[in-house]
Amino acid sequence: MASGLNPRLRIAATAALVCAAYLVGAKIGEQLRFLPVTTSVLWPPNAILTATLLLAPARRWWVYLLAAFPAHLIVQLGVTRPTSLVLALFVTNCSEALLAAGGVRWFGDGRRFDTLRDVAIFVAYAVIAAPFLSSFADAGVVSTFNDEPYWLVWRTRFFANTLTELTLVPAIVMAVTRGWPWMRDAAPRRRLEAALLAAAPLVIGATVFGQPFERLEGLRESPGTQLAFLLPVLLWAAVRFGPGGISLTLLTTTLVAVWAGARAHGPFAGMPPAESVLAFQIFLSVVGIPLLCLAAVIEERRRAQEALAERLRFEELLSRLSGSFVHLSVSGTDAAFATSLRELGLFLGVDRLVVYRLSRDSDEVLSAYSWIRPGAVVVPPLATIEGFPWMHAQLFAERPIAIARVEDAPAHAARDVETMRTRGVRSTLVLPLVAGGGVLGCLSFVMFTAERAWPDELVQRLRLVAEVFARALAQKDADEAIRASETLKSAILASLTSGVAVLDRAGRVVAVNTSWTRFAEEPAAWGGQARLGASYVESCRRAGVAGRGQASEAVELIEAVLKGLLPTFTLEYGGGEAVARWFTISVVPLTGPEGGAVVAHAETTEIKRAEIEAQRVRQELAHSARVSTIGELTASLAHELNQPLTGIMANAQAAQRFLDATPPDYSEIRGILSDIVDDDKRAAEVIHRLRELMRKGETESVRVDVNDVVRGVAKLVSSDALIRSVSVVSDLAAGPVTVLGDRVQLQQLLLNLLLNAMEAMHDGAAAERTVVVRTRPADRAVEVFVEDTGPGLAPGAESLIFEPFYTTKPSGMGMGLSIARSIVRAHGGAIWARNNPTRGATFHFALPLAGRTVP
Amino acid sequence: MTEPAATIVVVDDDASVRRGLERLLRAVGYLVETYESAAQFLARAPIAGPCCLVLDVRMPGQGGLELYQTLTAGGRHLPVVFITGHGDIPTVVRAMRAGAVDFLTKPFDDQELLDAVDQALSGKRRSSQ
Repeated sequence: MASGLNPRLRIAATAALVCAAYLVGAKIGEQLRFLPVTTSVLWPPNAILTATLLLAPARRWWVYLLAAFPAHLIVQLGVTRPTSLVLALFVTNCSEALLAAGGVRWFGDGRRFDTLRDVAIFVAYAVIAAPFLSSFADAGVVSTFNDEPYWLVWRTRFFANTLTELTLVPAIVMAVTRGWPWMRDAAPRRRLEAALLAAAPLVIGATVFGQPFERLEGLRESPGTQLAFLLPVLLWAAVRFGPGGISLTLLTTTLVAVWAGARAHGPFAGMPPAESVLAFQIFLSVVGIPLLCLAAVIEERRRAQEALAERLRFEELLSRLSGSFVHLSVSGTDAAFATSLRELGLFLGVDRLVVYRLSRDSDEVLSAYSWIRPGAVVVPPLATIEGFPWMHAQLFAERPIAIARVEDAPAHAARDVETMRTRGVRSTLVLPLVAGGGVLGCLSFVMFTAERAWPDELVQRLRLVAEVFARALAQKDADEAIRASETLKSAILASLTSGVAVLDRAGRVVAVNTSWTRFAEEPAAWGGQARLGASYVESCRRAGVAGRGQASEAVELIEAVLKGLLPTFTLEYGGGEAVARWFTISVVPLTGPEGGAVVAHAETTEIKRAEIEAQRVRQELAHSARVSTIGELTASLAHELNQPLTGIMANAQAAQRFLDATPPDYSEIRGILSDIVDDDKRAAEVIHRLRELMRKGETESVRVDVNDVVRGVAKLVSSDALIRSVSVVSDLAAGPVTVLGDRVQLQQLLLNLLLNAMEAMHDGAAAERTVVVRTRPADRAVEVFVEDTGPGLAPGAESLIFEPFYTTKPSGMGMGLSIARSIVRAHGGAIWARNNPTRGATFHFALPLAGRTVP
Repeated sequence: MTEPAATIVVVDDDASVRRGLERLLRAVGYLVETYESAAQFLARAPIAGPCCLVLDVRMPGQGGLELYQTLTAGGRHLPVVFITGHGDIPTVVRAMRAGAVDFLTKPFDDQELLDAVDQALSGKRRSSQ
């Protein structure tokens, strides 16, 4: 009613209204008194107080009772009664209202008359108990002060107040709670019917209780006949207008009957006025109570039917909503949301409906879908949930939030209430949208124009809607994720320069990228000719038959992958005769239940060429390194050659002299020639070794005894060792230790390590300069150790020492050990460097032993 | 011609060189003793009569220069001809300062050696090159 007003003003206005109503009611009551008792036969003030207390919160009762007091004084003092009696009567009036309202409010709702239970409680406490009990006090007071007969006063007051409570209280309460909406919303036909019903008791009363009727013989003697005319009206009111209607009709009838009785007309006209009124009171009470109950029962039933009908309509709506979200595309989902929100909004009569997307960690909310009742005030949907900390917590606890009136929100939701007030929200229901174990968002029903209740039953039903919405959102998210992933995947596939094809379990091509199509045009690449739907395995098989040997190999491998026997494979193949191109095929199985595999073809010609080029450069580099090493050895090699040359020269010249002698000493000359031959061989051997190291060309893989290599290299460096005052000690494995490899490279490897060891000892004492070379067979490998007695490696150098250009020597290139490592690796071995426990360093490498078979 | 009684001692680690020199020197009438290392020579009793040493500069263990210094330090001043496969200037200078009669670089002509030995035995010293 006056809900927009400031609360204090509202209380004051209500108090004034109560005062005025009490005054008017008391005035009317004062008029309806029949001597000998001063007690009124219809006393509205008590019923007005009862109705007020039923409508007002208990904490304000005292305000309204006090407000009635001035009215009571004005009326009572006007009829010149003793003040003490006036005060005592006010107390008894208040006690009746308190008893009535207290009982009804304690046991029932107090504001409702539309269930049998509520009506029964109302009748028991307000209609019977309160007048019954308070009348004892009232009769006592009146009989004491006015000397009236106690039981007569009690009886008059009890029946009078019973009837007023019965007729007036439901009428007032229903008018206050339902009157305004009824007046606003009722259809014209209904208004007309109400007007007719209101007129009926007046017309019938005036007719039946009036003069004309009394002229009919017999009616005067049988008062029940007149009353019978009222029953249809009362039944009409009870059936068509419910408890409110029957209550108002009873009131009108009572007023008419009392008026008639007071003028000695009406059904009980034969009796004294007081008796006549009493009889009528009893009649109306006895008829009124069951009629009120009947109205309540009818109302209850009607509401049950309405609820059922509404539930059916809701069920139908729900099934329609659920159905509209089945098998939808993403855009279809958007349309289904729009339709669903509109239907739901119209069905519920709310002002706005919004589906928000929420996230636990962020205050930001996204209004995904919304609907606004046509003509409703547009308040923009929320962009942040900052102003709703309580709601945010509730939603993520997956609890629904129903706020019928903003004031009813819990105390700790003060911030939320403030935000709602600012946004003009009067009433709201917010349901979490939960799917897949998480809160995706919420469904918000908002009322801006009025407050509204959110009964549990409705909330439960709307939670079903929320469930449908949540599932639709989750589905939409999943669809979008899949679509994004599909887009990403096809973009990745399209961007690949490799030709990619997806094969099914049988080896048929089920998907290809654009590069694959390009490969299909490529005669050099086999198998690329398989187009969508064709069998890739067959295509490879044909390539194999056409003389591409590796294609046949690939067929077996692909089949192995498809059968799950092989995890994955990569195969490099040449582009066939006279085509200097290379390709790589890799096949990876698909792990899904359908099986299949992904085939990727890439042209690796450039890589292959780069590899070949790198190989050539490595050989060049190794060769230059060898040449440069030999350059370093020049002095010692000169010495190495000088020894046999000196021997040859001395021996030859000695021979000349022996030949000059007579007779020539032939045995001496024979020995000399033999020595010359040996020396020549020595020189030739030196030159041979040199040429071998200087040799340029392809590496070859042959069986090489590492011990031989060590011996040869030790000989090569022996002169150098002599010049450097280094003793080189060989400690070789007993038997041959044979590896598969390139003899020259292995010689270079040992030469580099030996020279490195000798150089390391440059600054040490001459007597201590020793290099020990050991060979040791190990498990399927031969290990070679080169130990020196130099200063050892600098801390941390172990890992760097094999890196190219790492050097500690001022003139060094830093390539020697790097080349050593690349040789070891090329032979499938490994190399390490570490410091010895006492002094110096050891370089240690291991090479795999060749198999026992002799080629 | 020189006195035939003179002994030439050759110390060289290379067997072929030793044998070739031994034959050459013997062919011109010297007594020749060969040793493959300084230690082997030092173990021998001192030589009586005129003698000359032909020492290889680079040998495993004690080299020719060191051997000569050892002898000098022991008060035995014998004429020496150094031979080397590695005739670097500093070594030559050190050898000549130490009192070497001559310094030959391998391989050398027979006459060069015979002249050097002859000069050594006659106590003359060839001027350095």
